[in-house]
Amino acid sequence: MAKPKMALYWAAACGGCDVDVLDTNEKILDIANLVDIVFWPIALDFKYHHVEAMEDKGIDLCLFNGAIRSTEQAEIAKLLRNKSKVMVAFGACACFGGIPALANFTDREEIFERVYHEAPSNNNEKGTVPLLKTSVPEGELELPELFDTVLTLPQVVDVEYFVPGCPPPVDLILKLVDLYARGQLPPVGSVIASDKTCCDECDRVKEEKKISRFYRPHEIITDPKKCLLEQGIICCGPATRGGCGMRCVKANMPCRGCFGPPPGVVDQGAKLVSALASIYQGNTDGDVKRMLEEVVDPAGTFYRFGMADSMLKRKRLQKSRGSVRNAKD
Amino acid sequence: MPKISVNPITRLEGHGKIEIFLDGDGNVANTYLQIPELRGFEKFCEGRPVEELPRIVPRICGV
Amino acid sequence: MKTARRIPLLKKMLSQFGIEEDRVRLDWVSASEGDRFATIINQMTEQIRQLGPFSSNGGGEHG
Repeated sequence: MAKPKMALYWAAACGGCDVDVLDTNEKILDIANLVDIVFWPIALDFKYHHVEAMEDKGIDLCLFNGAIRSTEQAEIAKLLRNKSKVMVAFGACACFGGIPALANFTDREEIFERVYHEAPSNNNEKGTVPLLKTSVPEGELELPELFDTVLTLPQVVDVEYFVPGCPPPVDLILKLVDLYARGQLPPVGSVIASDKTCCDECDRVKEEKKISRFYRPHEIITDPKKCLLEQGIICCGPATRGGCGMRCVKANMPCRGCFGPPPGVVDQGAKLVSALASIYQGNTDGDVKRMLEEVVDPAGTFYRFGMADSMLKRKRLQKSRGSVRNAKD
Repeated sequence: MPKISVNPITRLEGHGKIEIFLDGDGNVANTYLQIPELRGFEKFCEGRPVEELPRIVPRICGV
Repeated sequence: MKTARRIPLLKKMLSQFGIEEDRVRLDWVSASEGDRFATIINQMTEQIRQLGPFSSNGGGEHG
């Protein structure tokens, strides 16, 4: 019987999730024995036309990492969806938007302005910018169109499973492959991680959640055994799904939510506003004012990996848009 | 002119495509490398606390 | 009172989304203050009218 076919692809990504799969070290050989990898740009030389030539649902398992922020990324997501039986949103970017979704605080015009004109290190006297179509003496060149708004994979195509994390821990990848090999994948729509929060998984000592002020991580030296939040460091653990092994907290850095919201929480950032404001001690106007000054970048901290997945999804666009595109069309 | 597209380029980090234009004899007339992605770190890092940058910018490249 | 801290923090965060702080209002009204309730609602309604419709371009439209 032929081996199952697997594809991996990266959209608006950094390559970390692909390297992550390689980080399974010698177990990658087990994976290679188990499946035929038919598309994986970081490691294999298959082209888009190879995927286009495959029969629909010919790919058994597709691990898709990266957020969607261009026409090309949306097209390849739809192409791979057509060709794949099971689509996995792999990594925080595909699941929730990830770091690239911080671009939802700005828009394409502002990005182009900064990148191609304003940036101090630029040497672009002619003011060249990328164009959708460029005429050259030999013919025409095309580039995909960038969206103003970064999207998650499920906002573009149907997704069966989610593996969160930036990047997902190696043991979760192996768990996914193992479950797949044994035909024991959980119900469609499942997140392959813990169903508890990071706080539940964290083994720091938790006493009483009452803090008199917030500190930025560089302002104090923290006790490595005590809960970071109780010491005044803003930690997103209370509103983040567990299963990551608390890698950041073990390195003495507060959680920033890369596993997304835990079960039952629809909007990670709103939950964090609620949780942090609740444990802050102080009721006078002065206390509230102080608290607001101490939380320096609420939206960027509480939605660090989840802007595209939030209820508001993006900062209000200032200009009126000529054409409105629905990414699922 | 006839054109050969190498899309995507592979076995490196990042996205790219190469367009090779051939002349009448089938020789390469010109070749163009295009990078069809832009995430905008240069812009969206603005407004973030400086101590958070070391946790944001490594996501430019995870390799 | 948790709400008294939550709402200002929420407003600060919403302002980063480009949502005017005046679109959110916190007030304390008891069940016996019917007239005051009506006044506050009317004031808020007028305030929102002045601010205009909220077109976020988020959620439904992408592009």
